[in-house]
Amino acid sequence: MTTPLTTSVALPELVDEPDEPPHRRRGRSRLHRASPLTYLTLTFVLIASVAPLYYMVVMASRPNSDITSNPPPITPGGELRDNVTRVFDNPDVVFAQALLNSLLVSLVATITVVTLSALAGFAFAKLRFRGKNVYLLAVIGTMMVPVQLGLVPLYMLMGWVGLAGSLWSAVLPFLVTGFGVFFMRQYIIQAIPDELIEAARVDGASTFRIFAQIIFPALRPAVAVLGLLTFMERWNDFMWPYLTLSPENPTVQVALSRLSGGYYTDQALVMAGTLLATVPLVLVFVLFGRRIVGGIMEGGVKA
Amino acid sequence: MMSSLAACGGDSDDESGKDVTLRVNLFGKFGYADLYKQFEKENPGVKIVETAEGDLGKYNTQLTQRIAAGTGAGDVVAIEEGQAVNFLASADKFVNLQDHGANDLKDQYLPWKFEGATTADGSTTIGLGTDVGGLAMCYRRDLFEKAGLPTDREQVAALWPTWDAFIATGQKFQAGMKGQKSKFIDSATNTYNSILMQGADHTYFDKDGELVIESNPAIKTAWDKALEMDEMGISAELKSFSPEWNAGFKNGDFATIACPAWMTGYIKDQAGDANAGKWDIATVPGGAGNWGGSWLAVPEASENQDIAIKLVKFLSSADGQLAAFNAVGNLPSNPTLYDDPALKEATNPYFSDAPVGQLFVAGAANLEPVFLGAKNQPVRDAVENSMRAVENGKRSPSEGWSTAVKDAEKVAG
Amino acid sequence: MHLRDRLARIDIHGAPYFFIAPFFILFGIFGAFPLVYTLWVSLHDWSLLGGNEGWVGLENYSELLADGYFWNSLLNTFAIFLIATIPQLIAALALAQVLNSSLRALTFWRIGVIIPCATSVAAVGIIFTMMFARDFGVVNWLIGLVGVEPIAWNQERLPSWIAIATMVDWRWTGYNALILLAALQAVPKDLYESARLDGASAARQFWSITIPMLRPTLMFVVTVSTIGGIQLFTEPLLFNPGANSITGGDTRQFQTSAMYVVEQAFTGQRFGYAATIAWILFVVIVVVSLVNSLLVRRIRSVD
Repeated sequence: MTTPLTTSVALPELVDEPDEPPHRRRGRSRLHRASPLTYLTLTFVLIASVAPLYYMVVMASRPNSDITSNPPPITPGGELRDNVTRVFDNPDVVFAQALLNSLLVSLVATITVVTLSALAGFAFAKLRFRGKNVYLLAVIGTMMVPVQLGLVPLYMLMGWVGLAGSLWSAVLPFLVTGFGVFFMRQYIIQAIPDELIEAARVDGASTFRIFAQIIFPALRPAVAVLGLLTFMERWNDFMWPYLTLSPENPTVQVALSRLSGGYYTDQALVMAGTLLATVPLVLVFVLFGRRIVGGIMEGGVKA
Repeated sequence: MMSSLAACGGDSDDESGKDVTLRVNLFGKFGYADLYKQFEKENPGVKIVETAEGDLGKYNTQLTQRIAAGTGAGDVVAIEEGQAVNFLASADKFVNLQDHGANDLKDQYLPWKFEGATTADGSTTIGLGTDVGGLAMCYRRDLFEKAGLPTDREQVAALWPTWDAFIATGQKFQAGMKGQKSKFIDSATNTYNSILMQGADHTYFDKDGELVIESNPAIKTAWDKALEMDEMGISAELKSFSPEWNAGFKNGDFATIACPAWMTGYIKDQAGDANAGKWDIATVPGGAGNWGGSWLAVPEASENQDIAIKLVKFLSSADGQLAAFNAVGNLPSNPTLYDDPALKEATNPYFSDAPVGQLFVAGAANLEPVFLGAKNQPVRDAVENSMRAVENGKRSPSEGWSTAVKDAEKVAG
Repeated sequence: MHLRDRLARIDIHGAPYFFIAPFFILFGIFGAFPLVYTLWVSLHDWSLLGGNEGWVGLENYSELLADGYFWNSLLNTFAIFLIATIPQLIAALALAQVLNSSLRALTFWRIGVIIPCATSVAAVGIIFTMMFARDFGVVNWLIGLVGVEPIAWNQERLPSWIAIATMVDWRWTGYNALILLAALQAVPKDLYESARLDGASAARQFWSITIPMLRPTLMFVVTVSTIGGIQLFTEPLLFNPGANSITGGDTRQFQTSAMYVVEQAFTGQRFGYAATIAWILFVVIVVVSLVNSLLVRRIRSVD
């Protein structure tokens, strides 16, 4: 699959080193002061980010018949508990197990993606080896493959190895991502000074030791960010789990799609289920947000 | 003959005929819960796990994928009307029920229903019929009254012996509803399909599989008739199964809709309790028609074929179909039931106690088989899309027709 | 030569390959196989259910080039991509600037900005489709308050593009803002100081320091948005609820290429032709990424 890329040496920008080592000492002072206008802008942005989620709560807490009224409802109703109960009581939907399955699938994928991406990202950012640019282009190339059509052959593959329908089939194709490697590489270039590695080499440390003891610990912010993104992507993925998993053993998103119990779709029920599937992620954000968000920010200036 | 890799059922171990889990894949509501219990009781060791998908489009995608890959589909799967022709083109992926006594059961089904899941050469039958979508016309009594039309279902039926009379009634309705938002029909497309399925023994394809969209007069006739309604301003121009269409049932955006038996449950759910007693059912113009209906099939990849076939026969038997009718209103495809008082005398309280058994049987019993080609679904989608574009004012009717023909030729290959 | 040196040499030369190997092995199994299989399929007349119906060479490819609906889908894809990406980049950059000031409750604002990321595409699709509904959507209700006639968002071409782009932007602007913010904070402050001493205006500082220093990050953001944008699938699919959703509207006004792939494979049963579209789409993504990299490369010379 690398053919279209290997023939072109013309993607230099993607594999360029930055012009200068950016880890020079930087002052953190001199941020411009926040004006009332700044807060006004931010308040507006905040409203825009939260409004659709609020609307989800509104719809999840209304009877289905309210959802298509005109003017549309803009305040929550009193049916949230009722709708949530219906989600958990729905015999077609094993919602509790689906939550657990999603947690498992997402966690496994997150751990492998983060670890293997850090490993490969480190090699691409800081190590010298023949064919490096070609390999990096191949990594970026893997991100460009349209996913929709891979689904059929991938499903056949799972069938051949006897894994179709198992949780393994949901997680195996996502143990690595080109995005993860690319992300880690960009981060390591910016955040880890070459001198650090050279110093360790002089001390006789092996490459793996350098990775394990120096690089990986310094990647904590990036690990947090990539980890969260990967977790969310897996948690929210629908198409592949839907095609491969058997409905008795679904992930959350697959379970959600079964909430509509006929031709007929109960939007209030679907919204209540969607809300339940979203709440864990929002909670993670709020609880660990400081760390994750702070992580992105500090990453650049650390080390 | 069966792949040892098709292992998804988990504990499927039928060597000794005990402890088999049968997986049944359905969409929508089939009303089988009590029947499963009965089957499990009569066949000790068999456990049935049903999964029903709400969205037909998703269901078809998933089923097609699993059948194509030869693994993952249930031991029993429902095949919807629009997909039957696709699966018939790959009949080898399913158990040929003729090898398991299907021919002896032929009399249990409407002839066209049996043929609908049988290959053109008659040698392979992949599914046994469950329900048929015998057509009637659902209408809003309250809106008819407002418009100054009769509300009694006999009188209403008398208003529209033909589609032309139906259009004339629509104009009267619209005149009586001056200034109100309600329209007479939901959309041109639903009406179009109802007219088309009454008009010919084949539609887009002739029996040799050639596309005849231009040469089959029935199609253009139905197209013109349906769009005439739109030009008269009696269509609400809502897209089927869209949120707006769904809301229309409740808000009274349209006063009539061509309605197969399974639609009664849909209307009840969408319109809600607040509208109970406002809806009623009359016969459809032209007297008969069909929309929807399914078959049950056993994929070749099933590891429990014998017991799965037994279940299919059980569910599609006369008793099974009657139980499903009582549970969710799906109209049996077994004509012997059409004289059964349990079916004939059934009424539906939500629809002002309309005699649904009688009405829907009348809509189904007289049907002639309609041949659908293998590419029927994509052609139908193309034509419906173009018709909606005309309804929405995106194309003139003649542009719409030529686009429909062009697209049909393209997808028919 | 000492054993120790020899080991060190093996380490230096071998470790990079060892580090990137897990990625390529796993991708080779679960990513490359479907791709190669798809390429093979694209050279055949291949029915999804019926299987291989014979070698046709490049016939599918020449048919595709003459296929108006393919070009239509490509136009839609690019239009939505541009309508989504350009404002998103500008907004993310502006937001990064706003956040890069001494704020009270810093973390609160930052979390607020990335909250939309936690929402699944499916939820976004459902929520926004309700919000943009013609008869009972909040958007039409809001614009109705200021006297604008209701817009049939999913029937008209431009409005549907805008609505879909809104979904994309809502989810990703905040995330990109944070990535850019991280890069912004990594810009050495002394660069600005010396520029100030030279009397450079704020605008000039922005164009000749900020933007060039953000180049690697911009590259990352643009590449990822491009790849995601050209594969856009779920949002437009959910934006057309009801019958025939895969055609993206009655006149295919917002059918993206990824949707056309799925339409051909599943509705049309033409697996071979669908594989062809997927492969051409892959080539398009590669070409666009190349063009992007050339454009971003020019930033270096802007002065």
